[in-house]
Amino acid sequence: MNENFENELRRRLRPVEPPDGFAERLMQALPVDAKPALMVAFAKRPTARWRQFGMPAALAASLLVAVMVGQRVGIEREMRAEQQGREASMKLMQALRVTSQKLDLAYEAVNPPPAAGDEENRS
Amino acid sequence: MSLHVAQSMPDSVLLQARAGDVRAFASLVRAHQGSVFSIGLRMLNRRDAAEDLAQDVFLQLYRKLDSIESLEHLGFWLRRVAANLAIDWLRRLPNSVTQPLDENVEAAAQEPEGDLLMSRELMRLLGELTPHARAVMLLRYQEDRDVAEIATMLDMPVNTVKSHIKRSLTALRGRMIGAQLIDCEELP
Repeated sequence: MNENFENELRRRLRPVEPPDGFAERLMQALPVDAKPALMVAFAKRPTARWRQFGMPAALAASLLVAVMVGQRVGIEREMRAEQQGREASMKLMQALRVTSQKLDLAYEAVNPPPAAGDEENRS
Repeated sequence: MSLHVAQSMPDSVLLQARAGDVRAFASLVRAHQGSVFSIGLRMLNRRDAAEDLAQDVFLQLYRKLDSIESLEHLGFWLRRVAANLAIDWLRRLPNSVTQPLDENVEAAAQEPEGDLLMSRELMRLLGELTPHARAVMLLRYQEDRDVAEIATMLDMPVNTVKSHIKRSLTALRGRMIGAQLIDCEELP
């Protein structure tokens, strides 16, 4: 008996169709620019991937570039220092040479070489 | 008609709709529009509101097609969204439940006069139930869903669903007997 009433409910509560043209009106109401979710998902995927992998990759690339630039700057600085060292060394050698020549001249001026007659008298 | 179409529809229609095929999406709408519209109609008691609700549900579906895994899931999703949306609308517009259900009168127009009266009274009494109880009854007797599925759809315990069904059946039977629309013999 209870079942009879439930069956009666089922019979009277059968789904009814919406007014004619419902689906057509709905299709016209679909947003023109919007695509189904999957299409949107595909369209958005590059952005999502960029967020997922792009940022870390960009950071890693930036870090690599920074390290390479740093290394390059270090090497250039080292080469410049070496070059400067070489130049300083050459100047020092030049200065030492000049000084040596001057000292030789001064020595010769203070201690002139003995004349030819003096040599003969000694012997 | 819709239910039969929905049951015989191949899964490829869903895949096509997900891939952006508008005609496939329209097929999904036609297969389920009766179910969604009827939930709205019998929950809100207004034809125009029911059509608005159905349109809202299908527009939501269009945006979330990628989350639908199968046609079975589609049916579950549509009923769940329609019922909960209707409950939500009733919370916001509680005075909209007093109108008689003209649609059901139309549907019953070819029935004998006694049946017509019974249909009208049944719809009126259904409209007097709380929104949650009404949703439970519609999902149970209109959509033929089992108790566990209804509980999941409406996010309520199974025992609450059973309780709604029992109390609503008792109330409906009692009122219909009082209105002499059914015999006392039909009492359990």
